Amino acid sequence: MQTVSNGRLDAKVPAGRLQDKWDAYKGVVRLVSPANKRKYTILVVGTGLAGASAAATLAALGYNIKSFCIQDSARRAHSIAAQGGINAAKNYPNDGDSIWRLFYDTIKGGDYRAREANVYRLAQVSSNIIDQAVAQGVPFAREYGGMLDNRSFGGAQVSRTFYARGQTGQQLLLGAYQALSQQIAAGRVSMLPRREMLDLVVTGGCARGIITRDLVTGEMERHVGDAVLLCTGGYGNAYYLSTNAKNSNVTAAWRCYKRGAFFANPCYTQIHPTCIPVSGSYQSKLTLMSESLRNDGRVWVPTDPADQRAPEAIPEEDRDYYLERRYPSFGNLVPRDVASRAAKKECDEGRGVGETRLAVYLDFSEAMRRLGEQAIRERYGNLFEMYERITGDNPYGTPMRIYPAVHYTMGGLWVDYELQSTVPGLFVLGEANFSDHGANRLGASALMQGLADGYFVIPYTMGAYIAGADLPADVSDDDPAFLEAEADARVRIDRLSTVQGDKTPTEFHRELGAILWNHVGMSRTREGLQEAARTIANLKEEFWARVRVPGTSDTLNKNLEFAGRVADFMELGELMACDALRREESCGGHFREEHQTLEGEALRHDDEFADVAAWEFTENGPKMHLEKLSFEFVKPTTRSYK
Amino acid sequence: MTSSGSLLLKALVSPVGRKVLTGITGAGLVIFVIIHMAGNLTYLLPGSDPYNLYAHKLMSFGWGLYVLEIGLATFFLLHAIIGVSIFVRKRRARPKGYKLYKSAGGASRMGLSSRSMIYTGIILLVFLVFHLISFKFGPDVGDGYVAIIKGEEVRDLHRLMTEKFKGPLYAFGYPVIMILLGLHMRHGVWSAMQSLGLTNPRITPIVYPLGLIMGAGVAVGFIVVPLTIYFTPV
Amino acid sequence: MAKQMTIHLRVWRQAGPEAPGRLVDYTVTEANEHMSFLELLDVLNEQLIGKGQDPVEFDSDCREGICGSCGLMVGGIAHGPQRRTAVCQLHMRSFKDGDTITVEPWRARAFPIIRDLVVDRSAFDRIIVAGGYVSVTTGGAPDANALPIRKHEADEAMDYAACIGCGACVAACPNGSASLFTAAKIAHLELLPQGRVESERRTMAMVDQMAAEGFGDCSNHAECEAVCPKGISVAGIARMRRAYMKGVFAG
Repeated sequence: MQTVSNGRLDAKVPAGRLQDKWDAYKGVVRLVSPANKRKYTILVVGTGLAGASAAATLAALGYNIKSFCIQDSARRAHSIAAQGGINAAKNYPNDGDSIWRLFYDTIKGGDYRAREANVYRLAQVSSNIIDQAVAQGVPFAREYGGMLDNRSFGGAQVSRTFYARGQTGQQLLLGAYQALSQQIAAGRVSMLPRREMLDLVVTGGCARGIITRDLVTGEMERHVGDAVLLCTGGYGNAYYLSTNAKNSNVTAAWRCYKRGAFFANPCYTQIHPTCIPVSGSYQSKLTLMSESLRNDGRVWVPTDPADQRAPEAIPEEDRDYYLERRYPSFGNLVPRDVASRAAKKECDEGRGVGETRLAVYLDFSEAMRRLGEQAIRERYGNLFEMYERITGDNPYGTPMRIYPAVHYTMGGLWVDYELQSTVPGLFVLGEANFSDHGANRLGASALMQGLADGYFVIPYTMGAYIAGADLPADVSDDDPAFLEAEADARVRIDRLSTVQGDKTPTEFHRELGAILWNHVGMSRTREGLQEAARTIANLKEEFWARVRVPGTSDTLNKNLEFAGRVADFMELGELMACDALRREESCGGHFREEHQTLEGEALRHDDEFADVAAWEFTENGPKMHLEKLSFEFVKPTTRSYK
Repeated sequence: MTSSGSLLLKALVSPVGRKVLTGITGAGLVIFVIIHMAGNLTYLLPGSDPYNLYAHKLMSFGWGLYVLEIGLATFFLLHAIIGVSIFVRKRRARPKGYKLYKSAGGASRMGLSSRSMIYTGIILLVFLVFHLISFKFGPDVGDGYVAIIKGEEVRDLHRLMTEKFKGPLYAFGYPVIMILLGLHMRHGVWSAMQSLGLTNPRITPIVYPLGLIMGAGVAVGFIVVPLTIYFTPV
Repeated sequence: MAKQMTIHLRVWRQAGPEAPGRLVDYTVTEANEHMSFLELLDVLNEQLIGKGQDPVEFDSDCREGICGSCGLMVGGIAHGPQRRTAVCQLHMRSFKDGDTITVEPWRARAFPIIRDLVVDRSAFDRIIVAGGYVSVTTGGAPDANALPIRKHEADEAMDYAACIGCGACVAACPNGSASLFTAAKIAHLELLPQGRVESERRTMAMVDQMAAEGFGDCSNHAECEAVCPKGISVAGIARMRRAYMKGVFAG
């Protein structure tokens, strides 16, 4: 790690009252004339909520769009898997919600590590997202009167979450995908599926293109544009096991990092407490169950670690309802990170249950006695069904087994108020950027942020960039920068195929995941992080000596794709450890054991660490830049869930 | 052709249009076979007069009969042509088949009846030709098949029927064909309703068994007469 | 303890779109009842790589039954024997120790094979591009509650909107028809006032595209509904036909 430097990070937050900033920005931002928009090509990488909504909106404005996705169809991006819902400050239930309250909850939930102006804007446009989605035909849940239904989510005191059964992400994504399809039909978007972005092309100081690999033919492609939008999601798969999709990866963002985009707060990862536990070494991914389950389920472990009885045979006096015991006022509804750490502690101390001993019970028997099985079936029927499908156990008869899993990454490429990275012309949207969620994300806010960025923020800020930048029109795909980037990408691919060692990419990925999970997971220590940095460095070396990628690079070859991603995850892993080591405090998704209160709660150090750590890639190791966070409008407080 | 005319034509050859036409013609043919079956059952009434009278009444529709016959022929042909075209397209849509293929059961309506529509359909079409030659264009008044009803000379179809079904080929061949007709209708009735967009999740559970009832009913209705003739001692 | 199993697989291997394919026999001895079917293929692939052979290519992404990437004919049934379950959520406890399972790709002219079990389903995207959307652009949408929608209609729209676009309906259809996929989108949008506005135009355009892609005709076997991981009803196909005829006759 190099010395701290300042000065390269201008967040470009407009002056004025918090409430007026976005309007003021929109009022003075430069516009691109409609006749000129079609002269500009924007490359949009990723078709999740952020990417699809941005591509559709910018295309409708008249820009030429090239849209890329790694899946075989834009409709399959991992936003599709979000279950719970999307927040918006509509205040339809008249229960006291407002833009301010959503803003405040998000800042507080993020443990005061997010930029106020961005978060306020997010809350401001949240209502428009719901309007837009309804106009597109998103079938949100409704009440008998025909109005939209809302529910309370993730411990919020107001009901501001809109939902479409347990498939809100799917429905919002299909809405954005349909909007994208409309623009494809209009000829303004060319859609390139089964493409992986392997490099960013920077020339004349600006992002002007990308290198992609056609995953079917293996062909390298050079794409020229006037701006690049990176909407490639989070990096939770660094942990190997996470709730992310198999293809979710950090490669595109990592290539941008290597080309000059700063990576901010990589240590912030959200671990979700109610996932289905790992059943064996073959496990390929983890499945999340909505945390609404904790509304009626009680979490416990047997008091005696040696207790081998079936859970339903263990009497009350031999059970430890540890959340209720330790947090009497919030009980089972403590925030995600608290619940996750508590489960880990029980298992670390040997009280875990199930075959792997890496699980705790989530028990509905008391709720079923109180409310009747039918009421539980109505509330959680689909989740119970999912649980039974995966585990083969019937949760109506026996307690569920749950364990935390990596779910979301708050860190990402650093962006300013305009969502522009430190590379001019490279914009980063959605989970791929670091903004808005601080150190911890509230439930039902990921969908909100992705769509806010794509539908309502980028259309303005992109105009500002295009109208203000000096973009030579004669950049072509045989520009030296393109040739160099393509050559680099080719070298990496060739290197992967030539090692021909004796270990599969998956084996390396599993090992990396174990290191990160153990040392850069729910609970971190200085020694552990140093150990992680060391072991990852060794693993990296071993990887390039022993990895075995079968097949050739001129056909569909998923192992080759995965191998490249694992290589990037290892480098990212080192940066995660480095960032976590530097952050000598506990906040949100980052818990350092050295920094806790006497009761074992997270201890923030606002005087020293109210900042964003943005890492610049250099040949001599990452160099840190700091963006100091100033809280002009809210006053940081300490959480307490006792 | 006008643009709306070409739109209509295009619509009729589209995947939906062809199914709708199959449904309409199929429904028409179902009505026809039910009437035909009801007519046949008059054979079972005492004496030869009721049946011959029925046949005679039918013949005396005059030009109306020709319209009906042309309409019926058109329905048969359309139904058959589209049916064959669906079969051809099906082969084209999956040029290479599965090594192993099974029905998932449950909500599936796939079965012997639905999978054999093309075969039962072709057999029925071929049968129709023989059937018309045997009866419609078979021996008439001029060939001595004369009955007298209320002093009027009419074709003695009753005698023709009786003679034909005394032979085992007709007596047992016809029932086999009629079982195939029932099998065709077992899927056809539901399929026609679905093709015409008349189903929804509430009525489908009623419509589907209706196909079985109608198919079985028509088959039994048609089989009764030949078997009765064959097994009735002269 | 989890039950250990030995599973024999007969997997369709095909090096490329034009290459001849064949079923190849493999045995996985370390299968386990809690494993998903795709995890079984993962284990097989690790074995194959260890032996220096090319792993079996298959598509999968979310592995929780919602992205629609995966799709295999398992034992002759699209997504395998468990109802309403995509193959990524099919677990080995649905099989017996010693079973032989045949695994083939979706087969349809409109879904050409890319490699092994991976097929090209872009025809589905083109059907959506033909009209599977509400023609609105960002901004200017009225308040979300401006138009009340009957709860049962919103619920029914959601039933159809649940389609994950996996292609099992085409794969299972004896005719290789894409009617259920196409109808699901048409029905979803037609049931909502926002989508009803251009329902007839949409329906005709999408049906025409479906035909142009080379999918077969629907013969109402309803096998599609039986294999659909989301249990989408063929009543949607009836709905599509009504909307289509309305389009033809109402101009």
